[in-house]
Parts: sequence; C-alpha cells; structure tokens
Amino acid sequence: MKKYAKLLPFFVPGIALYLALFIYPTVTGFYYSLTDWDGLSPSYQFVGADNYANVAKDIIFRKSIVNNIKFMVAVVIVQTVVSLLLALQLSKQKKVNVALRSLFFVPTILSSVSVGFIWTFVYDPSLGLLNGLLEAVGLSSWTQNWLGDAGIAIFSIAAVQAWAHIGQMIILFVAGLQAIPEELLESAKLDGATRLQLFFRVIWPLLAPAAAIVVSYTTIQSFKAFDLVFTMTGGGPAYSTEILSTYIYNSAFMNYTFGKASTASVYFLLLISFITFLQFRALRTDRVSY
Amino acid sequence: MSRLRKPQWVLLALTIILSVVLSACGSNNSTTNANGNKPSEGGSSDKPVTISFIHWRGEDAAVLDNIIKKFEEENKNIKVETQVFPSDQYQSTAQAKLLDGSVGDVFASFPGAQFEAIAKAGLFTDLSGASFLANFTSSLIESGQKDGKQLAVPYQLVYNIPIYNVKLFEKYGIEVPKDWDGFLAAAEKLKQEGIVPIAFPGADIGPGQFMNPMVMNNAPDEDIFVKLEAGEAQLTDEWWVKTLTQFKELNDKGYFQKDALGTKGDAAGALFVQEKAAILATGSYQLVGNKKNNPDLQQGLIAPITVPADQAVFEGIHTTTFMLAVNSKSKHPEEAKKFLEFLSGKEIAGEYANGTGQNVTVKDVAYTSDELNAVAEWTSKKTRFQPRFTIKNAEVQKAVTSSIQAVLGGTEPAKAAADAQAIVNQQIGK
Repeated sequence: MKKYAKLLPFFVPGIALYLALFIYPTVTGFYYSLTDWDGLSPSYQFVGADNYANVAKDIIFRKSIVNNIKFMVAVVIVQTVVSLLLALQLSKQKKVNVALRSLFFVPTILSSVSVGFIWTFVYDPSLGLLNGLLEAVGLSSWTQNWLGDAGIAIFSIAAVQAWAHIGQMIILFVAGLQAIPEELLESAKLDGATRLQLFFRVIWPLLAPAAAIVVSYTTIQSFKAFDLVFTMTGGGPAYSTEILSTYIYNSAFMNYTFGKASTASVYFLLLISFITFLQFRALRTDRVSY
Repeated sequence: MSRLRKPQWVLLALTIILSVVLSACGSNNSTTNANGNKPSEGGSSDKPVTISFIHWRGEDAAVLDNIIKKFEEENKNIKVETQVFPSDQYQSTAQAKLLDGSVGDVFASFPGAQFEAIAKAGLFTDLSGASFLANFTSSLIESGQKDGKQLAVPYQLVYNIPIYNVKLFEKYGIEVPKDWDGFLAAAEKLKQEGIVPIAFPGADIGPGQFMNPMVMNNAPDEDIFVKLEAGEAQLTDEWWVKTLTQFKELNDKGYFQKDALGTKGDAAGALFVQEKAAILATGSYQLVGNKKNNPDLQQGLIAPITVPADQAVFEGIHTTTFMLAVNSKSKHPEEAKKFLEFLSGKEIAGEYANGTGQNVTVKDVAYTSDELNAVAEWTSKKTRFQPRFTIKNAEVQKAVTSSIQAVLGGTEPAKAAADAQAIVNQQIGK
C-alpha cells in the first residue's frame, strides 16, 4: 500500500482535470435539469422531475431521437462496411496502399463546419456538383433534392458523416488486420479454406474487437454530428433532420430553456450509453486464441 | 473476466465524456480596437476608461471601427474595444458574457426571444428619458421597449419584403400587383417568358422572411402571434391555413425555382443577381449586396398582397433590429450611454448606413445610394412590424416556419397547420 501511496501525486493532475472537466459539468448539468433556469437569469426555480416528464412528451424531442437513430444506423452500416472492405484491400504493405490510406484519411482532418459547407454546395439541387455529375453521365433521373427532400435529407447528411470519418475506421481495421499472423491465414488456406471461410472463420473473429471499437466510435460520432446538421440543414426541412444535439442547442440557446436542454442532455447520455452497451453485447466474442 | 471487459469500460467512459463534451461550447471571437489592432492591457494612472462593445455584425466592422475612431477623438478619455461574434455564437456564448459585466458595456441584441430573455435577466439599463432618444423615429424604436421602459434602441431598419427586378418587370410590361390575382398573373407571365418568378431560399431564411408579407393581410391583427402564444388563436384557423394554401399554390404552379426547399440564401440570391429570377423572397438588407454583384440591376421592393386590393390593410413589413443597449452590470454606464448618443447622431448614423448598406432608425439621415433611398420611401407606407419577431418562443417560431417547409414538401396545408399547432400547444402548456 505504501508503495502505491508514493505514486499518488502523479495521479493528482489527471484526477483534478477529470473532476473539473467531466464530473463537475456532468453533476451541474444534472442539477440544472431539475430547474427552470433560462441560462441567463440569476434566479431559477426547482421543478423536480417536471422537465423529464415534459421532454419525454415533447414531439420534437421524439422526432429528434427517431432521426438520430436513423442517422446512426445509416452511418454505422455504411462506415463499417465500406471501411472494412477498403481495409481488406489496403492492409497489404504496398506503397500504393500507404498512399491511398493517407488519401482516405484527408477528410478526417478537415473541420466539420467546412465539410458541411462544402457538401451543402455539392448537394445544391440546381448548381450542385452531384446533380451536375449525374446529369453529365446521363443519369438525370437519379438527381435529387438531396437536402430539401424530407425523406432523404437525413441520409444525405449521414453519407457526408460517413465520408468524413471513414479514414479513421480504415486505420483501425488495418491495424486489426495487420495484427493477424500471416501463418494463421496460410495454414487456413492449406487446409482448403475458401475466401469466404477464411474471412468468416479466421479474420472476422480476430477482427471483432476492432469492429466493436469501430461500431461504438461511429455510434458516438453520429450522435455528436451537430456541426454537420447545423451547417447543412439546421434541422430542416420541417424537422426532418433535427437530431438530439440540435434539439439540445435550440432548447438552450435559441429558446432559453436551459433546464430543459440539460434534461435532454441527460436523456442523451443514457441513450448513447445504452446503445453502446447493446453494441458491445452484440459484438462480444469469446477470447480467441491462436 | 473476458478480454473485452476492460475496453468496454474504457469505451463507456469515452462515450460519456464525448456526450458531455458535446454540450460544451467554445467561442472563437476576434477582439479589435478602433484601429483594428489587438487591444493592449495596462497603462498609466491617467489611463482612459475602456468600454466594451459586443455585436455580431462582422460585415460592419470596418465602418464601425472608423466611427469608433471618431468617437475616441471626440472623447479622449474613452476607449472602445469591440468584440465581434458570429451571429450563432452571439446567441449561444456572447450573451452569457454579459452576466458579469466584464464585456458588453454596450451590446446588441436581436428582437423577439433574445430581447425577452435578456430583459428577463435584468441585463438592460433603462434608457428612458435619455436625450438621444429624440434622434430616432419614435415609431421605429418601439421594439426596444418593454413594460413602458426603453431598454434598447434598434439601430437598423429593414423591410422584410421581396426584392424585384424593375427592368424585367418593365420589359414584360408587368405592373406591381395590388392583389393576389395580380401577383399570380405577374408570376405566370414571368414563367411564360422563361424567367423564374420567385427565387425562394426554402432551405434557410426563406420561410421566416416570406411568411411575413404572406400573412400580413390574411391576419391583419398585429397581435395575432401574441394571441397564438396565449392560446387565443390557432394555426389551424383560417388565416394561417389560407397562408399555407397560398404558399402551396405558388409552389404547385412552379412560381418558385425547382427544388426550392434545397435552395439556400446564397443560391437564391445568385439566381436573382444573374437575372434568372425576377423576385427574391428575402428583404431589403440584400439590395446593396445584389447591386455590388450586378451593378446593372435596378431593384425595388414588392410585397405580395394576398387579399383583394380593397381588403389590404398593410403594404409591407418592417423590422427594427441590431438593438443597441447598455449592460446593467456595466462599470461605465455613462460612457456607454455617451457612445450610444454618438451613434445616434444623424451624421454618424448616415456614415454607418451608407457604409454598410443598411437603413437606420435615426431621423433625417442622408442616404447616398439609390437602394437606400428606395427603401427610405417605404417609411411613408403602411407597414407593420415583422410578425415572426412577435413570437417570443423560438420553438413556436420554428413550428410556424416548419409548417411552410412541410407544405412545400407535399403536406396538405390543413395537416401542416395541425401538426404545427400540436407543437405550439405543447410549448404553451395547453
């Protein structure tokens, strides 16, 4: 025990930062969720669980959860599948693959606000690059009002979200793939495994931990996608792209209902924790030995 | 314990941290003094008083810096430090900085929800009785009043009615319409000539701007939205359903550009500037910018009259915004008022107006551009304050504008109105 006591001072800065930047805001956020504070006034009333009841009944809050789940599912599927397929191609140590991995990583270093603005122009129905490109290759019937059609706007933003973060996922999968011993793959091939068998029986079980990280990270990213939605649609048209983060922002800073926004943040925390927990349960594998 | 347990906990912690981080807002703001330099701290014992001025109009910064320079020359003992925030950050972070009085001795606010919240927080100094109020057109500073007190002075005057291309109207022999049938006929004529009748930025500012002239005569009661928030009027009533029906009519007849709901302000503006569209459904604040982009443009303001001519009560919509105020927490309220007084002089207000291309609420200002003079003519017309800004609850405001987007997206007006009313009911606790 004495041995550990000597180490204690080394933990102090980290613990202090953790308390100041995480525990304190979380506790105060929960505290304000029990009040009717508007974010500006010096005084406020305690309203107990009223905010929790009101937010749970709120039509826009419910819409924002549905939209966020749609957004999350689209981003997780697209980003995981595409990044895995690309990682399988790019994991081999070739010069061209190293260059391509860097290329795919470029969108990750752009600010999400810039990405939002760029893609807003790309998606513009009449002057945009995407519809222009489709028309140029004779696919006029495929042109869409990408951000103006309530049915597809959320998926248009999801595509941008996936594009912006795919580089990080490729790196994670490539790291996972490169950790698989070559001998293991060779012996499976010698035993007559087909490519599909090789993937599902050997690669995937060993890659599952990386996949769990990719899926949970992607989930968190898609719940945090405030900047993209804010710059591209502002939650419109007609609430079709309103997500939890924009709902919280609007409640706090546009409508001056800070207590309600804090309540929504608590719900947000619970929801994202629950979804992450479910994902880990679903992706949990028994320890793989080789 | 399986190998995944530890990463599970780590990731759960990461999840929580990221969620909390999301709720934190940073702010990048630029701090400049009148000379455009970073203000320096410290000084001698005879150091002049420094007041802080915060606002969101980055596009006016150069003009305001020159004005501040003149103010400092006239008032040797007062320095003005300006902080400009992007308007979205102004809503989220700047106003919180007013609370301790460390910044924003003089600050600007938006009318409507923000004005109400700041008033409720007691951050406005009562300016009632200040001599400089006489420099303003009294009817144009009413939006800065609450409970009989003048809490802020709106500095800018805007007409939230569409801009039209005068030459195109003349070319096709179109008179400025006086009623709804005339408006539709004008739009049809333009459409037949291959011109987009109305450039409508449905993705962002369009619904919130164009709703005002569209509703002004359908609901001539200027308190209609006040009544809506009091539960005494409904969006399902005839006045709003009719307004939505007229929006739908314009859309269904192809009088807006294709895919209007996906068009943002810049793209709609480009259609108008390139003379591909004859009407731009925004407001007078874009006149000067349009002219800059196309010096050949001749522009005027045109409001859709949605009723027969003899039933029209209003000719247009005005908004007074960029509401200047003195922070009640200010340590230098007299110097702050002195700065407001300086801004309200007609010469200085004229310099601001002509430099920024924005009309002002100050009396007897000499405008030097055709655009500003064209807008000034509207001061003699019967206009009403922007209905949207009489909505104090931002969620109600959003429900109203979203119902327009819903209609343009194919929802029936009655259903869109009912859906929006359901949100209103929730907000007002009905």
